[in-house]
Amino acid sequence: MDSQIHKIHQQLVNKEITCTQLVNDKLGLLKQNTHNTVNSLLDTLALDLAKKVDQKIANGETIGLLEGIPFGIKDVYMVQGTITTASSNLLKNYKSAYTATAIQKLLDAGAIPLVKENCDSFGHGSSSENTIFGAVKNAINPELVAGGSSGGSAVNVAKDYTVFSIGGDTGGSVRQPAGYNTIYGLKPTYGRISRYGLMAYASSTDCVGPIAKSIEDIRIVLNTISGKDVKDQTTYASAEIEQSSILNIEHIKTIGYFKNFVESDAIAPEIKAAFLNTIEKIKAKGIAVKALDFFESNTLVSTYYTLAMAETASNLSRLDGINYGERVEAENLKETYSVTRSENLSEETKRRIVGGNQVLSQGFSDEIYLKGLALRDEISKNFENDFNEVDIILSPVTPNTPPKIGDSLKDPHAMYLSDAYTVGFSLGQLPTLTVPQGTATGLQISAAKNNDELVLKFANFLKDTL
Amino acid sequence: MTVDVLSSIKGAQPSEAVSKLFDVIKNAHPTNNNAFNANNNAMSLNDLREDIVIESSPLEKQIIKENFPSEKNGFLVVSKVIEE
Repeated sequence: MDSQIHKIHQQLVNKEITCTQLVNDKLGLLKQNTHNTVNSLLDTLALDLAKKVDQKIANGETIGLLEGIPFGIKDVYMVQGTITTASSNLLKNYKSAYTATAIQKLLDAGAIPLVKENCDSFGHGSSSENTIFGAVKNAINPELVAGGSSGGSAVNVAKDYTVFSIGGDTGGSVRQPAGYNTIYGLKPTYGRISRYGLMAYASSTDCVGPIAKSIEDIRIVLNTISGKDVKDQTTYASAEIEQSSILNIEHIKTIGYFKNFVESDAIAPEIKAAFLNTIEKIKAKGIAVKALDFFESNTLVSTYYTLAMAETASNLSRLDGINYGERVEAENLKETYSVTRSENLSEETKRRIVGGNQVLSQGFSDEIYLKGLALRDEISKNFENDFNEVDIILSPVTPNTPPKIGDSLKDPHAMYLSDAYTVGFSLGQLPTLTVPQGTATGLQISAAKNNDELVLKFANFLKDTL
Repeated sequence: MTVDVLSSIKGAQPSEAVSKLFDVIKNAHPTNNNAFNANNNAMSLNDLREDIVIESSPLEKQIIKENFPSEKNGFLVVSKVIEE
């Protein structure tokens, strides 16, 4: 699909539509929708901003490309004065005191926020069922999960309720729901976009990620929100990606894929066949393809979850109902902490916090946590070596098609294993894009760190090839 | 210390699903056991932000107070301090 942002921009400039009408239409769609994508609507703010854009156009002033473009925000981002729940009971009435850097950059560019979007609570989940707002329903088949944790964001984009949405990806939370709802979702290189104002899940892999229906819209949003930020000292300065620079693939000579991903017993036969068919089509275009060795899925998933749980146990320790949140009073301070957290955190969040505290505790940290860090080092080294041989690594997004709503909650271990193909790239902090092609749940395109441009370039090639 | 105390979550128990993940790590054999995070996110000392206090805006202060779970005369009310 072509760029929605360019199309709407032209319609606004040519006065074919008004921004107020556009925003009203989208708000109407969001209000009526039965996919449980909405935690709260930002209707007053959106309509105020839309009026200003209309006034500017009426005055004959030039508007920027993102000015008046409606977008959605996963409900883990701070937007000053709005309720930010992380889809949790603990924060169901929490009001953001400040605005996240990535969102502020979009506001500065004139984009219009419509909605805080449903997701797994604190990003803890792969199905968007771990939420107090009801399971998000898949855009294509509402009996299936939307994927997660950015499920509401992916469905809003897929259903055209928002032009683009800002999700968050820690272990696949943008890429997997993008795959389940057949749209584009980017996890950029770690540090390219500031995490300031994104509620921390696992700080060493948390990434802000745009979700959209075209590569061009991903590029536009990525350029707008990237950049160094003193409020997140892991950020780095990056060059703008030009539209013209991602149109040809002259520099891409060799791609690779992980043998064990497609030889695994866990992969559905139709996803395997479709993936191998894609590889053949790429070869037919004269690109060399290498089968690469990689870590077993079990090792990848266990390493990721061990480290992510340790980090989330630490990050979420602040949620005690003292300064903010739904406090449950008990006989003393310690009991107040304990009962507040017990009654207000979901089962999945508690499972991860407890797991994290286990691995960080004396006696376990050497045996599990430090070993997990050593494995992560090896995974990163493996990627470094691979990118000396290939320009791009292509992989399926998921081993299977989306499960039915309700199934993932019954078997958390199976849900963890369903992240087998996404978590490795998170541990490596690599730029990885889901494209809605190649298999029933799409393909992931990964490149070496800081090479987000190459990922978009290869996505354009696949768009024309498959 | 038990996990419910460690986690400040009343009645929390370790889970079987998570234990299965830990078993994989326990049985793994990394070639280098001296982990020193290859994902080097350390900051250069020459690139630190300025060490200055930035005053929150009046709106920010107002919202922080609105978020108090319990408030009296503009002050945050907390439970009795631990007596042990």
